[in-house]
Amino acid sequence: MYKLLLCWRYLKTRYLALACIISVMLGVATLIVVNSVMNGFSKKLQTLLHNVVSDVAIEAHSPNGFYAPLDKIAMIRKDPYLNERIEAMAVTLDSFAMLQFYHRGSQETVTRPVRVMGIEMKSRSAVGGFKNYLQLQSADAEPTFVVPSDIKAKFAAVDKEWHDFHQFQFEQEIQRLRRLEEQEKKGDLVAPPPQRLDFEAGISPEMREFFSKLRKDRPAPPLAPPPAPAPFKAREPIGAIVGHLVANFKTRDEDNNVTDRAAMRHGDGIRLTTITIGQNMTPVYDDFVAIDFFKSGMSEYDANCIFIPLDQLQRLREMDNRATNILVKLKNQSEADDIVKAMAILFKGEPLIVNTWQEKQGPLLRAIEIEKNILNILLFMIVGVAGFGILAIFSMIVSEKTRDIGILKALGASSAGVMQIFLSYGLLLGIVGSLFGTILGVTITLNINTIELAIAAITGQRIFDGSVYYFTEIPTELQPMAIVYMNLGAVGIAVVFSIIPAFRAAMLHPVQALRYD
Amino acid sequence: MHGTTPLLTAINLRKTYVKYANRIEVLRGLDIDVAEGEFLSVIGNSGSGKSTMLHLLGTLDTPDDGCIHLEGRRIDNLPARDRDALRNRTFGFIFQFYHLLPEMNVLENVLAPAMITHSVWSWWRNKKELRKHAAEMLDKVGLGHRLTHQPRELSGGEMQRAAIARALINRPRVLLADEPTGNLDLANGHHIMKLLRDLNQFENLTIVMVTHNLDLVHETDRMVRIIDGRMDGQELSQPPALAAAV
Ligand SMILES: Nc1ncnc2c1ncn2[C@@H]1O[C@H](COP(=O)(O)OP(=O)(O)OP(=O)(O)O)[C@@H](O)[C@H]1O
Ligand SMILES: [Mg+2]
Repeated sequence: MYKLLLCWRYLKTRYLALACIISVMLGVATLIVVNSVMNGFSKKLQTLLHNVVSDVAIEAHSPNGFYAPLDKIAMIRKDPYLNERIEAMAVTLDSFAMLQFYHRGSQETVTRPVRVMGIEMKSRSAVGGFKNYLQLQSADAEPTFVVPSDIKAKFAAVDKEWHDFHQFQFEQEIQRLRRLEEQEKKGDLVAPPPQRLDFEAGISPEMREFFSKLRKDRPAPPLAPPPAPAPFKAREPIGAIVGHLVANFKTRDEDNNVTDRAAMRHGDGIRLTTITIGQNMTPVYDDFVAIDFFKSGMSEYDANCIFIPLDQLQRLREMDNRATNILVKLKNQSEADDIVKAMAILFKGEPLIVNTWQEKQGPLLRAIEIEKNILNILLFMIVGVAGFGILAIFSMIVSEKTRDIGILKALGASSAGVMQIFLSYGLLLGIVGSLFGTILGVTITLNINTIELAIAAITGQRIFDGSVYYFTEIPTELQPMAIVYMNLGAVGIAVVFSIIPAFRAAMLHPVQALRYD
Repeated sequence: MHGTTPLLTAINLRKTYVKYANRIEVLRGLDIDVAEGEFLSVIGNSGSGKSTMLHLLGTLDTPDDGCIHLEGRRIDNLPARDRDALRNRTFGFIFQFYHLLPEMNVLENVLAPAMITHSVWSWWRNKKELRKHAAEMLDKVGLGHRLTHQPRELSGGEMQRAAIARALINRPRVLLADEPTGNLDLANGHHIMKLLRDLNQFENLTIVMVTHNLDLVHETDRMVRIIDGRMDGQELSQPPALAAAV
């Protein structure tokens, strides 16, 4: 009984104990906050990664793709096991191209490499992770590549103007030729004055006569009419969906804030230049119209991707009935591994590889996991530091209380009992510290964005710059089990580090302790 | 009015302190008998080993040689657990410097031995009774009105009286008092002496009291003197081997 009372009294009367509690508290709070933020980031990143990558992807080994993708889909659908578990599939053709467009700000032509993805809108939307990232059409039931009629009209007007100009030039030329013809017929087509050739100066008069005769005899050039321009027919502009960071450049404003500035607007024309497959690899290009923008939050995609209709890319690259990927959406995520196995058997021997999204993003996910673990170890060392604080402070308290320990022993307290006083003292400090630490950590985590704003207001420096990251808020995720483990760990450390002083107290000789001063 | 059966007996107690090259032979074969209900005073020069003897008798320390019997049962070589129990229930200690626990108030200090005896459970069950008993004890020593005071708020005499109450809370059979009046003025000293004598007379408590003050000795039943690590007048006890040779 005396153990509890003394323990409690020591806690109440020692301010040093407060230092122990605070150090444990801070350690636990830091652990919880950092862990929650790391979890939040990793979860958010995983969601983002997963959203742009389908559950399972069948990829061609070569960038030239594989033949007859729809047959492959039919093959999968024929397998009852797979058919049952697959919700949707989409064929895509992934390739590289040079993008050219007219920069609205600098009035210059921008040329840069991009990743062009040929997609079939309906099936790609069904696989997911696409439609909701469209800036303009995300609310539509069925997004399309169709160019709106007003833009079409604008393009048509420009085309018409060019056509008219060519037509005009053509007519002018025809008229000029006609005039020449008439003049010749009338005979007043004046031959140009004979030009005196330099070398004639040194030749004989007979030869000179011969040359001038030769000139006169030369027939007039035939007046062939130029080819007539084709009759006007407005081009059908092809729609393209452009990555947000392809169409926007990051710039710094006068307040040093990074913002996106549009370099390309809805309805602007772009040109994509790529190559045909095959040995010749002829460069080919076509013009497209930016009809929508894609903003997923994954800069890898937003800064590189342009989506165009699959058939257009196939035509352009002369890749008829070829594709590079089949994206698969599953009904149940957890079956991904089994399905990958089944597909691998199905496509055995073909130049294809089947991956789950985790396998595709494996290195990045693992890097995050490793980072989190290292951080956890480092942070646990903070709690370890708190443990050494407990060791030091407890040793001091034991020295200070030596005489009291002697008294307790003289009154019949056992060594084990004395040891228990200090062990339960350590336990109490650990529990109180980690309890407050948990409260503090959870409170900070739940209000981290408010706190971040408050700190930003005080220091004038944003800690979390929303323009650098894609999320506007710091993502957090509290994991109750992790918090329980952290608490147990902290309490454990507090107890372990109080063992040495407690043992020393227990081993004190009562008489020596009584004589101690 | 003391009986004749010896309650506490020590035979041939030896205690030597060795510090570096120095050997301090404090007790050299000391014998002592304490009868049941006796009020015994022990005197001796400073450093003669009175406190050491008391610690040995009260199992706070173990002798290098010799043995101690309580009612015929040897107690100096008992395991630590049993000696803890003896200190807790059979012996009551009063120290020269009171030795109250500063974290507890007077009542709790008095209750400390009881708290050590009882587990948390039995403490909660007997709490009321024990508190009442402690309050009575304090009343008896004249501190009934200072229950919730901290030890540092008391005078020396009051602290010593609290320490006496503490020594008695578990109803010990032997009270070992080490100069209980050493730090007190005359009036306080007499008060404490009266208290001890009353306890001895009316409650038949056996008391071994170490003192310097010869005036107090007259108020006790019997007085022994420690000289040279032995009792004054004690036969020069020889190691058995040596005695056989003579
Ligand atoms: N731990 C120790 N180490 C060395 N010597 C010690 C130790 N404890 C006691 N002594 C010595 O033993 C001797 C006896 O000590 P003790 O306290 O028993 O004397 P005492 O008779 O009680 O004296 P006083 O009347 O002054 O209280 C002293 O000389 C002391 O120096
Ligand atoms: Mg002494």
